[in-house]
Amino acid sequence: MKNSAVIISIFGACSVLFAAAQDSKVVAPANAGTLKIISSLPRTGSANAQTNTMVNGIKLAIDEVGGQIDGWKIAYEDMDDASPQRGNWDPAVEAQNANAAVKDSDCIAYIGTFNSGAAKVAIPILNRAGLAMVSPANTYPGLTKPGFGEANEPLVYRPSGKINYFRVVPTDDLQGVEAANWAKTLKAGKVFILHDRELYGKGIADVFRKQAEKLGIEVVGFEGIDSKAANYRSLATKVKATSPDLVYFGGTTQSNAGQVAKDLRSGGYEGMFMVPDGCFEQAFIEAAGAANLNGKTYITFGGLPAEEMTGKGADFRAAYKLKFGADPEAYASYGYEAARVVLQAIAQAKTKDRAGILAAISATKDFDGVLGKWSFDANGDTSSRVMSGQTVQDGKFVFVKVLGN
Amino acid sequence: MLDFEVFSQQLITGLSNGMIIALIAIGYTMVYGIIELINFAHGDVFMLGAFLALTLLGALGMEAWGPSGQVFGVALMLIGSAVFCGGLNWSLDRLAYRALRKSSKLSLLVSAIGCSFVCMNLGLFWGGAPMKVFANGNSAAAPKDFPAIIPQINLLGDGFLRITPGDLLVFAVTIPLMVGLTFMVKRTRLGRAMRAVAQDPIAASLMGIPVDRVIGATFFIGGALGGFASVIYSLYNNTIGFQMGTRAGLDAFTAAVLGGIGSLPGAVLGGLTIGCVRSMSDQYLETRWTNTIVFCILVLILIFRPNGLLGSTRREKV
Amino acid sequence: MRWRPGPIFIILALAALLPLLDVVLPPKMQLCEAVRGVFLYAILALGLNVVTGYAGLLNLGIAAFMAIGAYAFGILTCEIYPFQLGFWPALALTIPIGAFAGFILGAPTLGLRGDYLAIVTLGFGEIVQDVLKNLDVVTKGTQGINPLPAPTFGGSEWTAEDEYKWYYLFFALLVVTVFAVRNLERSRLGRAWFSIREDEIASRSMGIRVERTKLIAFATAAAIAAFAGGLSASVLSSTGEPSNYDFQISILALCIVIVGGIGSIAGVLVGALVMVGLNSIVLVKATAWMAANGIGSQGNVLLSPNNWKFLIFGLALILAVRLKPNGLIPPRIERAKQ
Repeated sequence: MKNSAVIISIFGACSVLFAAAQDSKVVAPANAGTLKIISSLPRTGSANAQTNTMVNGIKLAIDEVGGQIDGWKIAYEDMDDASPQRGNWDPAVEAQNANAAVKDSDCIAYIGTFNSGAAKVAIPILNRAGLAMVSPANTYPGLTKPGFGEANEPLVYRPSGKINYFRVVPTDDLQGVEAANWAKTLKAGKVFILHDRELYGKGIADVFRKQAEKLGIEVVGFEGIDSKAANYRSLATKVKATSPDLVYFGGTTQSNAGQVAKDLRSGGYEGMFMVPDGCFEQAFIEAAGAANLNGKTYITFGGLPAEEMTGKGADFRAAYKLKFGADPEAYASYGYEAARVVLQAIAQAKTKDRAGILAAISATKDFDGVLGKWSFDANGDTSSRVMSGQTVQDGKFVFVKVLGN
Repeated sequence: MLDFEVFSQQLITGLSNGMIIALIAIGYTMVYGIIELINFAHGDVFMLGAFLALTLLGALGMEAWGPSGQVFGVALMLIGSAVFCGGLNWSLDRLAYRALRKSSKLSLLVSAIGCSFVCMNLGLFWGGAPMKVFANGNSAAAPKDFPAIIPQINLLGDGFLRITPGDLLVFAVTIPLMVGLTFMVKRTRLGRAMRAVAQDPIAASLMGIPVDRVIGATFFIGGALGGFASVIYSLYNNTIGFQMGTRAGLDAFTAAVLGGIGSLPGAVLGGLTIGCVRSMSDQYLETRWTNTIVFCILVLILIFRPNGLLGSTRREKV
Repeated sequence: MRWRPGPIFIILALAALLPLLDVVLPPKMQLCEAVRGVFLYAILALGLNVVTGYAGLLNLGIAAFMAIGAYAFGILTCEIYPFQLGFWPALALTIPIGAFAGFILGAPTLGLRGDYLAIVTLGFGEIVQDVLKNLDVVTKGTQGINPLPAPTFGGSEWTAEDEYKWYYLFFALLVVTVFAVRNLERSRLGRAWFSIREDEIASRSMGIRVERTKLIAFATAAAIAAFAGGLSASVLSSTGEPSNYDFQISILALCIVIVGGIGSIAGVLVGALVMVGLNSIVLVKATAWMAANGIGSQGNVLLSPNNWKFLIFGLALILAVRLKPNGLIPPRIERAKQ
């Protein structure tokens, strides 16, 4: 057992060395004048499609201020929180990104994550370091709102006791309710609810079911699908056999919304089909085939679509189209909004101090954004309640109305 | 609608899905039968076949061809994808597997896993190709719509029960292929050589059989069947994506094992069993438990029939 | 006999000294954090090595046991469940829980030969994921269970910032695993495993109880994998979601074992370094560097470095087994054959 003795002594020696070494490197000299925004979004695998649009939004926001604010150079780093062996978000990589951001003395804000599960890993790490995090995509209510998730949420995400996590998207509990209300006004008497068993899809489907039952809509089925299945023909038969007026699918383009829509049609179902904002992108229409969606498909979205926006939103749409050659999609607006919130906070705080930036972000009030005029509430959520409903005509999203109100 | 109609509908769906799985499963079972390799890349070769079919469809503008033209188009895609996938599978064997014939089975398996990742990445690049059918490459990773040139209409009129041209296509293509393949393996020189190599490669080579060429031919035929399957799959499901090979491969390999790996009729029976179990479970139980049920049935069958449904009881090679 | 350091010792000694590099590297390199991931996969792969390397049973569902360990750790410790154990007792309990799960799967299926067993383990991996997802009353479905406790050595609970503490904790547990597995390898049981791997019929006629011996290998591997799962849940303070433990993780573990050298502890350690290092150090740093220097563009699918990751990983696998078919560090028995 000589080996182990040697190892243990090496181990001991190193620990001592490190205790000493750590002290000397805590304060790395900052490159005066650079403020860095780090985004952590999935870039390996299928979610890269949305990430591209979000990153485009972020880049556009930074370009608009000329890459600098009051002499501070705004740097941007686009991190990947997915790994090739997973092909999807990876908790270890997300933790690594969050730690990298904490250690990077230039970093003053973290834009991410795409998946709420990843946010659960990143928020506490960033919270301890007092680094602000703005999410363009997380909709799981428990991350910010007491009473919607587990009993210990959202306090578990705030080990420092302060709020550092904000989001510019409305949470599932709002969108699910509006979707069910809309279904009611569309005169749906019987609904069949499907979900992809993911945090986002299942969450929003649960809310939809609750609200539907409250409104007296008969829920004739509630099924979790296998989002990797080749097709849903047999499920479509099952749906058709219950003859619902509307099928709601809680899920995203990635979790096979296109195939679900397609198979409902090819399985002979001819009623209405409703999906949340995870499908509000051209890729959904491309995947589903326009012919399967035209006319009878309804999409809810936490904001106004690009073509309905006036003022700031219209400028954004024009600028985005000029730069990237396409209309901005849901996630592009969210990414752009998240970045602009951070940039505005920098302009107000005029500091490299993370606490100062954080305070400025949390004080965001009456923000004139592309998603409307809104403020962050006490939980870090957007106060915006503007939800819009879309349909599909001739392979394009068409605005129908503002939901709620 | 009647319960009977629902049941029949699910049976039709299950058989159609099962046939597609079976066609992919044959590719696995042939390769496994001859060199005992779980060819992990097979599912991804299949996926690339679907991308080729979509490219042909888009490049030649088949959507605008008339009904008879589209029949020709389907034949063209079938042949194109079969040759392409066969060739690709053959090249994988030539480049990545042949040098490992004498190494352990597991090194070969890792090489196949590596090929699977490479093919998947090629699919990602392909999906970003600047073509209208690929949505101009804006979202390479997103699933792609495969235009329904075989319309999904009901041939039985307006009743509840539906049989679509897609269902017919699946049977019209797969059954002749399977019959032809069985004939090939049982009756032709190549088939005999394949069986000889599967039995004992050393003895086969001593009898003058060019073992490497026979193995190469097996890869080509297995890949070609994957190519046929990819076109059928695409026309039936109308969506393709660069990650579709993983699931298709898992299902097909499970089917091959269930039927008894190495056995052609076994692969077909396994595929049909899985297809039907899936649709019945979707209908009469809950969709979210379907995968669990498929694998529980697999385990149960293997406990009672350790060599699969139709597997030979021959001794494992030592 | 004079003692000469073997490859295992050299690797572990280098790993122990690695944080010294952090003093000279810029703080953002996060070498220790990435290497910690290597340690975690090394533990998982050491477990797989017991069943696949020693006993010769191909297991394609090792990630399922990792998931069981992670969720067991979560349920035993998290404040929303009644147990609320601390870090150490819960981590210790993942071992018997994992072993039990391995026993449950192994007992009815070990009679299957070769690849039939492989497909059953693969199926088990899928079943575990589905069950964890669907039984959301107990497992919280895809929400994941959080927060989970970290060890408390001397005062307050560790956080993500105590990276050197975590590093040496992972290192110490890896060392413990290495010694445990090495002792097993050299025991009567280990020799029985090798014997079964080489010739089952001969082993049986020599009086080895084949089924029982296989079952122990299965349960040992499951126990080690569950232990790795508990550890990973602790450091992330979350179990993540069930699909974080999918087939891809089992495949990665298998690649580590085979690329490193099947049946060789030193090989598994090097394999973990090469495979995980490539994924979470080289590829990550390379893409970050390219992005920082304006090389490539995210708009074009071919020019975006992220889109090349699968290809590079796949080519690395193909090349590794092509150049070193017996692994980077083959076990002594293979070396002796050459």
